Amino acid sequence: MSGTLLLGLVTGIGFGFALHRAGFSRCNLVQRGLWLRDFTMLKVMLTAIIVGMIGAHVLAELSLGLVHFKVKPLYVLGVIAGGLIFGIGMALGGYCPGTAVVGLGSGIGEGLMAVLGGLAGALAFIFAYPILKPIFIEKMNFGKLTIPSILGLPVLPTALAFAISLAAMMWWLTRLERKAKTVAQSEFARKAYGLR
Amino acid sequence: MTIQGASVELSRPKAGQRYFSLKLPGWFKWGAMIGLVQIFAMATVGPLGVSTAYPQFVGFVLDRIFPGFAEHQLYLREIGAQIGWEVMLVVGLFLGALLSYGLASQKEGQQVTPVCVLGFEGSRLRRYLRAFLGGFLFIFGARLAGGCTSGHMLSGTTQMALASLIFGASAFSSGVIMAKLFFRNDHTLANKCQMGNKR
Repeated sequence: MSGTLLLGLVTGIGFGFALHRAGFSRCNLVQRGLWLRDFTMLKVMLTAIIVGMIGAHVLAELSLGLVHFKVKPLYVLGVIAGGLIFGIGMALGGYCPGTAVVGLGSGIGEGLMAVLGGLAGALAFIFAYPILKPIFIEKMNFGKLTIPSILGLPVLPTALAFAISLAAMMWWLTRLERKAKTVAQSEFARKAYGLR
Repeated sequence: MTIQGASVELSRPKAGQRYFSLKLPGWFKWGAMIGLVQIFAMATVGPLGVSTAYPQFVGFVLDRIFPGFAEHQLYLREIGAQIGWEVMLVVGLFLGALLSYGLASQKEGQQVTPVCVLGFEGSRLRRYLRAFLGGFLFIFGARLAGGCTSGHMLSGTTQMALASLIFGASAFSSGVIMAKLFFRNDHTLANKCQMGNKR
């Protein structure tokens, strides 16, 4: 096995382990997150983004060329339409492409079905691509834009500021969650004791 | 910043206990580990991304069954129909989940409690149909947008890509609207919805 393939396997094992331990093998975590009942999904994602953002940009500053950046191009129509379809799929399936595999790995039938559905969706996309490409991908394609490149800001300070604002958002989310929990408990108490 | 649920315990240890134990909430611990995996991936090959592997795998398999399939498809010519880093990442995801499941003290595979989706409540067949349809839509949407939760939301936001922020906003808005319109309250309809693989 070549080095790149082995690296992919090792990275995937770490990623899968963390996703499973975070609880993403269960499809209800994503569904309850989208239902705005449980912010675990968002908190895991925000933590991962903050750690990755600070680490990758600091590492890139220390030694240029070590960190591989791969920014995706902004083709407005495709990104928005794809995002809308993706959101519906995520709500319905309760998984996203990665966590479906994690569900499959922990022996959950719905994970298997989501992966099979994903393979069917991939085949459908391969056939639909020649029709979709001129409309969704070639029109309104602005290329690889990032926040610092648009605003003309230095990358590392922008990344740190972005990470801090994400952390603030997470703090607000935990407060919101605590408040919701208190309300739920008081509602439960009201029902249980017949109070008005 | 305060971390909800975090606590530091300093107490008199019993036999076999450590003096000092730092308890972090699960979402923080495992979220930080995903962040470290992301840094590792970016330092070695490139940012994490899962959804490319699906069409690559489909293309690889169909090219073995029908020789020349990959050459005739525009999309497979662009992304390549090979077993590369992306597909091995997904194989690793499966093995990592299997490892974590194997090491877990509490087996949670039987305790799936999906929320009830309007039109899909009831038998196992319907729940599997829902998962299949969801899988179909999320890969189709992810390929159209150029990435999924890992490729756009995690890796893209890490690099502050504008496309990824727009993707995240659009995916979450449609997902939340879908959930608010079609998800049923599990308290009122608990008897009608089959919760979990086993009753």
